[in-house]
Amino acid sequence: MKLALKKAFLSFISMMPMLIGVVGLVGLMQIYITPDMLSSFFGYGDILDVFAGTFAGAISVGQGMISYIVAEGLMQQGVSIYALSAFILSWVTLGFIQIPAEASVFGGRFTLYRNILTLISTILVAYLSVITVKLFS
Amino acid sequence: MKQMKLKGVKFLIVVIIVYILLLIFDNQNSLVALQKSGMIFLKLIPIFILIIGLTALINYLLKPKQIMKYFGKDSGAKGLFYTLLGGVISHGPMYAWYGMLEDMRSSGLRDGLIATFLYARAVKLPLLPFMVDMFGVVFTISMTFYTLIFAIIQGKIIDSINSFRENSTTTKS
Repeated sequence: MKLALKKAFLSFISMMPMLIGVVGLVGLMQIYITPDMLSSFFGYGDILDVFAGTFAGAISVGQGMISYIVAEGLMQQGVSIYALSAFILSWVTLGFIQIPAEASVFGGRFTLYRNILTLISTILVAYLSVITVKLFS
Repeated sequence: MKQMKLKGVKFLIVVIIVYILLLIFDNQNSLVALQKSGMIFLKLIPIFILIIGLTALINYLLKPKQIMKYFGKDSGAKGLFYTLLGGVISHGPMYAWYGMLEDMRSSGLRDGLIATFLYARAVKLPLLPFMVDMFGVVFTISMTFYTLIFAIIQGKIIDSINSFRENSTTTKS
């Protein structure tokens, strides 16, 4: 177990430059990307707002809980449920600032495919969820 | 033990350069950002410890052969189930998990399951009550359901692309 712990620790330490870099960028994004800036992306109809929600979620950083707080504020401003669900999903699954780190660990090809698939999935999940709610109500 | 290779050094250098430039041109905000980054890093320490512990436990309990069996090319529904479960219950930011995933990948974890794990993380159990409060029960159930389905689909697509590439490489050679 001691050897396994040492191996895990060394493996984690090897990730340190990448982790410090990402955390550094997260700090910057939290200062420069404000909720007001995010809300300016919306208001162009359901279809475009889903794309805006996905993009806004992807450039935002922070704990998942914060995405709900921001989404609640956006909801009060009249942003559609389609866009909000895309926003919450992409907040957790997409991260533009994580792409260089992901590529350095898993390789460029995997990162490219995964992020494209995540982008498409997020848009589809947002639409399907709202459509399902409409079918049941 | 093989020599340790640091990951993301170039990326870190770019971030440091960005900070230096911002310190020159926007001193106040960049200092706040630096302070925020420090706070985030401190908050992440318990998650880092958890991940190191989990990685050690996986290394200790599962030998590469077993990782191959449960999460490798021939792992079936069981591997998928454990991956989805792991994604749903995992805490902290996505990038904190890269190290553990890379470690398991070198022991045979297939790329499709990495994609499935990373997308399944969108389902956050502690946050589901907030989602119910904001969007209702039907929406929360449907979004959770579709997220897990698309996590599986993403994994299948990534694996299909990989096996297509492997096959075409074999055919060429």
